[in-house]
Amino acid sequence: MSSWYKNSGPSDDIAVSSRIRLARNLKGIPFPSRMTTEQRIELNRKVRDAILNSNTPFAKSLKYIDMRDVPEAQKYAMVERHIISPEFANKNEPTAIILSGDESISIMIGEEDHVRIQVILAGLQLSEAYDIAERIDSLLHASLQFAFDSKLGFLTECPTNLGTGLRASVMLHLPALENSGEIEALSRSIGKIGFTVRGMYGEGSKSAASLYQVSNQITLGLSENNALDNLKIITTQLIDKELQSRKELKTLELEDICYRALGTLQSCRILTSNEMMNLLSRVKLGKSMGILDIKASPIKVLIEAQPFMLMQKYGILEPKDRDIYRANMIREALGQ
Amino acid sequence: MLCEKCGKNHATTHIKTVVNGIAREYNLCSQCAAESGYATNSLTGMLASMFGDISKYESPAQKTRCSVCGAYFSDIAKSGKVGCSECYTTFYDELLPYLKRVHGSTNHVGKIPNSAPLMVKRETETVEDLRNKLSRLIAEENYEQAAVIRDKIKEMEAKGNE
Ligand SMILES: [Zn+2]
Ligand SMILES: [Zn+2]
Repeated sequence: MSSWYKNSGPSDDIAVSSRIRLARNLKGIPFPSRMTTEQRIELNRKVRDAILNSNTPFAKSLKYIDMRDVPEAQKYAMVERHIISPEFANKNEPTAIILSGDESISIMIGEEDHVRIQVILAGLQLSEAYDIAERIDSLLHASLQFAFDSKLGFLTECPTNLGTGLRASVMLHLPALENSGEIEALSRSIGKIGFTVRGMYGEGSKSAASLYQVSNQITLGLSENNALDNLKIITTQLIDKELQSRKELKTLELEDICYRALGTLQSCRILTSNEMMNLLSRVKLGKSMGILDIKASPIKVLIEAQPFMLMQKYGILEPKDRDIYRANMIREALGQ
Repeated sequence: MLCEKCGKNHATTHIKTVVNGIAREYNLCSQCAAESGYATNSLTGMLASMFGDISKYESPAQKTRCSVCGAYFSDIAKSGKVGCSECYTTFYDELLPYLKRVHGSTNHVGKIPNSAPLMVKRETETVEDLRNKLSRLIAEENYEQAAVIRDKIKEMEAKGNE
């Protein structure tokens, strides 16, 4: 098994990945912002023991990593692989992570909450990801006492996560809806019912790679199942709308755009991050519509061509040199 | 500190980001943070701005402290972060209106510890009905009506809490 971006999953021509995050805090210790260094070290130990000493076969696939031992560049490469949050990578306090071999499970200790259980899978697999997160939750709960209130649910540092502590999200590739401008109206409608659509890899609502993340915002007064069901429905609708919108694209123009994108990626010598994402998005569209016949996965290439992912492979590089390495790497990945 | 983007509002959101491998720090107001797509990630900024004028929490009458972590309510309002689990008891009345605004509800529904997985606390029949209706409306892509039902659920739950 390997990381989500190297795998394929159900509906992944549009639904790139599914992510579940559960926020949990322990009873009797202040939330992370108010924790002392000693309390943080103690928290790391408690959570580590709860998982690793549980003697379940499941726990054997998990590894404890002290984040102080992880070099800066590697931390940001983890952010680029969506394994940890940027906020977590920026922490200077002693934090730790429990990671599965395939990186599908990452348990962040000492982020905004004591424990953040994250499960990320390729394609549309919300229930599958939730089931895994729930198993970890139960494993932790077997030996740790969670901060819980019968009225307010699981207590969290930020009240926006209160209740179930569940944030479920799907990353979607929506180039046709973006092109037609429909994505904006859809985002507004979806926003009215407690879900958000956010552009990934870009400024504001725009996305450099037409990648959008849909997630639930409401965690109090809505059960886990209810939140997941509604997110699944919204996701399915967005996929249908995207497919519909793709049918309306003009064949010749579309072919032209896709072939040009692939041609540029196959022959460039200098490639910025932004241009790379733009072009790979078109290649992904062309591949999933059967226009381009390529073996490589555009998403895998997109993740591996991120700045810190490149530096993890080739060593520390100046931005200008990075653009050269990126071009070389992508020419090879997409070469005929 | 003023917002780096608009230079008008008070900066409430501190953002560290990595663009093309260069780490940068920004101080933005909640509005500009939302526009830049940051507020959805961590709603801290939005929450802090929802508490509005925090000076009213700094009056001598508001000097209640959490007995466990020592936080004043003004600390929570300023940062958008609650100090510890006990704060939710200490400042329950102050927090309630904001919870209502953020979630539309102040009652947990869902998983509870010490229970078999997926055992769910039951809501009252009528709210449940409305929720089913909400799911159905979403399925039918009837977002406008769904928003109306959501408001109804909010209302009913607000009444239920009084
Ligand atoms: Zn501003
Ligand atoms: Zn407290």
